[in-house]
Amino acid sequence: MTNKKPVKNKNKKRDPINWIAPIVMLVIIVVVLEVLVRVSGINRIVLPTPSAIFAFTSDAFLADLWFHFLYNFKVIFVGMLIAVTLGMLLAAICSQFNIVVKAITPVVILLVVTPMITLIPLMQLWLGSNPNIRILVVMISCTPIIMLNTLTGFTNIETSKLELARSMGASKLQIFAKVIFPNAMPQVFTGIKLGCIFSTIGSVTADFVYGMQGLGFKIQQYTKYVMTEQIYGSIILIAIIGFLLYKIVAMIEKKVVIWKI
Amino acid sequence: MQNSYIKIKKISKSFQSKKEKLDVIKGIDMEIAEKEFVCILGPSGCGKSTYLKILGGIIPASSGEIILDNENLGEEIPPRHLKDFGFVFQNDNLLPWRTAAKNLSFTLEMMKIKDENNKQRILDMMEIVGLQDYMDVFPHELSGGMKQRVGIARALVHNPDVLLMDQPLGALDAITRKMLSFEILNIWKKTQKTIVMVTNNVEEALLLANRIYIFSPLPATITHEINVDIPLDQRNTEIFNNKRFNELRHDINLIVRSSEE
Repeated sequence: MTNKKPVKNKNKKRDPINWIAPIVMLVIIVVVLEVLVRVSGINRIVLPTPSAIFAFTSDAFLADLWFHFLYNFKVIFVGMLIAVTLGMLLAAICSQFNIVVKAITPVVILLVVTPMITLIPLMQLWLGSNPNIRILVVMISCTPIIMLNTLTGFTNIETSKLELARSMGASKLQIFAKVIFPNAMPQVFTGIKLGCIFSTIGSVTADFVYGMQGLGFKIQQYTKYVMTEQIYGSIILIAIIGFLLYKIVAMIEKKVVIWKI
Repeated sequence: MQNSYIKIKKISKSFQSKKEKLDVIKGIDMEIAEKEFVCILGPSGCGKSTYLKILGGIIPASSGEIILDNENLGEEIPPRHLKDFGFVFQNDNLLPWRTAAKNLSFTLEMMKIKDENNKQRILDMMEIVGLQDYMDVFPHELSGGMKQRVGIARALVHNPDVLLMDQPLGALDAITRKMLSFEILNIWKKTQKTIVMVTNNVEEALLLANRIYIFSPLPATITHEINVDIPLDQRNTEIFNNKRFNELRHDINLIVRSSEE
């Protein structure tokens, strides 16, 4: 029997092509758009060139847009943090009792599919105009999906793994902490990634309703003054926040979910 | 039997669903001496695995008695005696988020064995199965045979008196299976444990066992008890030329074939 260490293809992961290829793609897209927009002669009010978007937005960013960018970033980041904690905690509690899981799953699904952003005007009625309510909005947008996926992760465990724990006389707490919880990690991260999507939607929509701060509010402003380049720029900035968040989650996932199913 | 270490008296198991009661095991009597290697042979789906899981404390019997070292434990192995058993599952059943070494320490963690010798113990067990170079490797990086060997090491790490193996070689290819069966023989010689192994392979049972119990199809009862009087020094790769081996193989194949009709 050979006793060599298995060949680990570490080079695959650190290959520079991984980040060069998307950047090249991006550059190509931008160049093509630039050429198409210029050639088509379309009005800059409708569709400005990428270079114009970049120029105007950078000016705006250095002026006051950076503040709103960071504001959204904070709202989304904090809201997601709370949503992840709350979603996982609720799922952990509910998963202890089979009957609770059966009862609560349809309710959670309902919360996931109902656009929580429709509650924002109502929330303004209930809770007033505190700008930090936006964090609450992100929270209620993301918690259901995270909870749902985590719950699925906790309840979908192979019988053989439970039998393994039982053969060793493991206590309920040990089984939950050392078997059920780690086993659920792939599902949990799927839920968190989906939550990322809802988080940006929730944050921007809250800006629309509450106004005064945030990239959503600035988009409304720019629309009023027909500053189209900045509108596109703000949208791109929101997308960057979502992208950064997703990447952070993916990086953590790589460290935690080390195994392939 | 004079010095039986394990005595099984009239163990039965039935599963109750709403409409009907399914008798899986009916009145099994068995006696196993210390350091004996006993094989349980039988057709698929006849309750052999269920029986082994009762012995391993994973599920309780419906009725009957388990007597371990002259202590009557009743229908179910109590938690304090679970450390006397080590269970090897059919599909290695390793925890994919832990390295090989950490899978072994899982047993010690669940049984709350906090000994300064633990680290050495893990290394020793990995050496016995020949995988001392693979301590920090994850299951998904190991072959099927290697994973199964880690499973055996894991079942030995807490130094149980009895090793229970549920078709440990069933999921492997024929070549690996043959190779590992000789390794199991070596492990038994080295560790001197009492071993109860469920298998559906007649040659394997004849190579490894002192005695073979043949189970009937559902509901399982013991139809035959066979003394494998092949001396230990003849149990090697030449065993297929052994006269007694071939006689027994012929007889057992007849029994198994007729029971399936």
